[in-house]
Amino acid sequence: MSKGQEGVLPQGKEQENLLVMLERAQSEFGYVPEEFIVEAAHSLNVSISEVYGVATFYSFLSTKPLGKNVIRICKSLPCYLKNSQMIIKSVEDEIGIKPGETTPDGKFSFELTNCIGACDEAPAMLINNDVHVNLTPGKISQILKSYK
Amino acid sequence: MSEKRIVLKNCEVIDPRHITTYLTRDGFRALEKAQKEMTPEEIIEEVKASGLRGRGGAGFPCGLKWELARNAPGDEKYVICNADEGEVGTFKDRYILQNDPFTLIEGIAIAAHAIGAKQGYIYLRAEYHHLLDSLVNAIDQAKERGFLQHVDIDIREGAGAYVCGEESALMDSIEGKRGEVRYRPPFPPTKGLWGKPTIINNVETLMNIPQIILNGASWFNQIGTERSKGTKVFSVSGDVKRPGVYELVLGTRLKELVEELALAEKVKMVQVGGATGRLVPYDMIDTALSFETILGAGAITVFDQSRDVIDIVYRTMEFLAEESCGKCAPCREGTEAMVEILGRFFRSEGMEKDIRVLEELSSAMMLSSLCGLGQAAPIPVTDSLQYFRNDYENRIK
Amino acid sequence: MRKIEKITVTIDGSQVSGCEGMTILELAQQNGIDIPTLCHSPELTPIGACRICVVAVEGSRTLVGSCHTPITQGMVIYTHSPKVLETRKVIVELLLASHCGSCYMCEKANVCQLRKIAADLEVGLPRFQTRKRYYPIEDVSPYIQRDLSKCVLCWRCVRACNEIAKQNVFGIAYRGFNSKVVVDFDQPIDKEVCQDCNVCIDICPTGALSKPREVGEEKKGRPLVISS
Repeated sequence: MSKGQEGVLPQGKEQENLLVMLERAQSEFGYVPEEFIVEAAHSLNVSISEVYGVATFYSFLSTKPLGKNVIRICKSLPCYLKNSQMIIKSVEDEIGIKPGETTPDGKFSFELTNCIGACDEAPAMLINNDVHVNLTPGKISQILKSYK
Repeated sequence: MSEKRIVLKNCEVIDPRHITTYLTRDGFRALEKAQKEMTPEEIIEEVKASGLRGRGGAGFPCGLKWELARNAPGDEKYVICNADEGEVGTFKDRYILQNDPFTLIEGIAIAAHAIGAKQGYIYLRAEYHHLLDSLVNAIDQAKERGFLQHVDIDIREGAGAYVCGEESALMDSIEGKRGEVRYRPPFPPTKGLWGKPTIINNVETLMNIPQIILNGASWFNQIGTERSKGTKVFSVSGDVKRPGVYELVLGTRLKELVEELALAEKVKMVQVGGATGRLVPYDMIDTALSFETILGAGAITVFDQSRDVIDIVYRTMEFLAEESCGKCAPCREGTEAMVEILGRFFRSEGMEKDIRVLEELSSAMMLSSLCGLGQAAPIPVTDSLQYFRNDYENRIK
Repeated sequence: MRKIEKITVTIDGSQVSGCEGMTILELAQQNGIDIPTLCHSPELTPIGACRICVVAVEGSRTLVGSCHTPITQGMVIYTHSPKVLETRKVIVELLLASHCGSCYMCEKANVCQLRKIAADLEVGLPRFQTRKRYYPIEDVSPYIQRDLSKCVLCWRCVRACNEIAKQNVFGIAYRGFNSKVVVDFDQPIDKEVCQDCNVCIDICPTGALSKPREVGEEKKGRPLVISS
C-alpha cells in the first residue's frame, strides 16, 4: 500500500517555526550562522542537514555573512526591458563590486534577484526591505548614500 | 472600454490604514450576511453558482474547492491566502495589498466560515516585506472590531523562492521546510497543510468573495464569458506608455488592454501569464483574455519590434532553471538543458538538430514534471518555435 | 474493520482488479507488467521525484507517476504507449547528461539501475550538454564511500536513513540543478555521524554510495546484459 509522503521528513508541527527562526536570524545577524543552525536543529529536534537544507533553499537566506545592507537589483524581463543593465553597471561603479560580492568595509552586499513585483515602475531594486523604483543611473549614488 | 472595478472597487478610494473608511463602503457587511443569514453550505452554493474561478493561474472553480474542503472529514482545517506573487511581470496583488487589505481579510474570514477553518494564513513573499506592517495593522483593526472571532489570521513570510507560489510547495514552506513540490493526489482540500483539509486561494480570488455574497451569484454570473465569470486584474509592463494595474471584464481583447489602455506601439509580441505564460504574436493580438483562451495570473509583458525573441525566451528559461525546486528530474535537469541550448541560439551557435531536441524535451517536461512549473516551463520555447521559428533558424551556425 | 473495496481498471488493454489504496505500480507488478522505477523502493514512502515510472491515464492532461498514484474505479492505464516510452527516454537521457564518470570505472556498473534502465529503453549518448555534476569522492568514513558525481537525486538514501535506519544523517540542500544530498553543513561523511548499517548503500540505485574497497577488487554483479 502506498504510504503518505509526509513520512519522508520529520513529523509534527514543531518544524513550523524553522523558517520563521531562520528569517529572524537573517534579519538579526545578516546571515544564518552555523551555531544558529546547530541550535535550531537541537531545539526543533531535527537534523542539522535538514536545517541547512532549508537555509540554502531560499534565496533571501544566506549561510555566509552578508554586508550591512543588501542591494538586490531585479534582473527579470520587465526590468531588463527598462535597462536594468545600466543600473547594475551604475551600482558596480559606485561601490566597486560585482553581483555576488560584498564590499571590503562590509557596508554593502550586491545581488541580482528575480522579479520583485515592481514592474510598473521598472527598473527597480530592493535595498534591505526598501523598494526603489523608476531608477536611473543618476539616482544611484544618492540612494546608496542614504544607507550608512 | 471594458474596464470595470469589482476587485479594485476600494483601491485608491479608502484609506488602507483605517478600517472606518472601509466600513463606510459596505465593509464586512458580506461577512455579517454570511454568518447571520447563510449556512456554510449556502455560501459555498453561492460561490459555486457565481462561476468564480481561481485567479492565480490555474483557474480551478473556487466553490468546488471549498466544497471539497468543507466535506472532507476532520475538525482541523485551514485557509491559505496565496500572496506569493512571484510570476514575472505580476504586481496586481501588491497593488491590492497596498490599497485594500480589508476586503482580502473579509474574503478570508468568509472562506474560513464556509469551510469550517479556525486558522487562516497569508503567505506573503519576501519581496513584499514592505507590505507587512500595513497588512498586520489591517488584521489587528478587523480583530479589534470583532470581525475575526471565528478565525485567526497569521502572516507567514516567504524567503525568496518563486516555486513557493505553487500550492504544495507553499504548504511545505509554511510547515517550515524547503519549498518542494508534493505529488497529487491527495489534493489540498482533502490533505493539505499538515495533512489537514486546506484551501489555497489567490489574493484576487478572495477579493471577489465579499461582493459575490453581497450582490449574489446571478449578479456576478452576468459579467464575463460563458466559462470565465467576472473580471480579471492585469499587471501590464514592458514596452508600454502606461504600465500599471487594469481590471477588465473577462473576455476583453488583448489588443484593447495593450494598445488602447496601456498605449503600446509597434508591438511585436505579448507574453501573457509571465515566465510560464503564452507568447502572443502581434497578428493574434485580437485574442480574448479568458480562461477559454489565455489568461494565467494576468501578467502582460509587452515587447516592441526592437526586441529579440530568442533573448526573451533564453532569459525566461534562465529564470525557470534558477527557480526550479530541484525535486523532480525532468524540471531540474530539463530547464538546465534548455538554458544550454537556448544560450547557443542566443549566441547564434544553434545546431540544426537542436530544434527537434527542444521539441522532444518540451514534450517530456510538459508530460512528466511533478508540478506546474516544470509542466509549463517549455511553453515559451514551444510558443516561440511555433510563431517565431525563423528566429531560431536564422541562428543556426 | 472497513471492508476493502475491489477496484477494476483497464491496464494495457486488459481488465484487472486491485484493492483500494493500491498504486498503479503495485497493480502493474501484480499483473506481471514491468514499469521501470528509480526513486521508488517498496520499503520507502514514495516521493515521485524521478518521474521514470510515469504512465498514461485516460482523461489526464499529463502522464502520472505510477509509484504514487492510487488506482481508481474504471481507470484506463497505458504503461508502454509511445508517448510514455519517449518521455521515459528523455528523462533517462537528462540524468545521463549531467552524470559524471564512466561506467567502465564504476564499481557498481553491473548492478546500476540507471544503467539498466538506460539499456532497456535503448537510450544512447545523451543529446544534452548540461553542466556535469562533479564532486570529489568522499572516502573519509571507513563504512561508506560517497561519490556524488554519480548521484541522481532519488532521495533513497535520505529516506532509507530516516525511515529504516531511524537516523537522520542525510538532507537535501540548495535548489534546482544545484540540489545535493548533504551531511550536516555539506561536509564529507565521516564515521562520527554514520554507523556501519549499510542501509543506504544497499538502496542506492547508482554508484553514488558504496562500501570502501580495495584496489583491484572485482566489480559487483554480472556484466550487464542488454535485454532484447
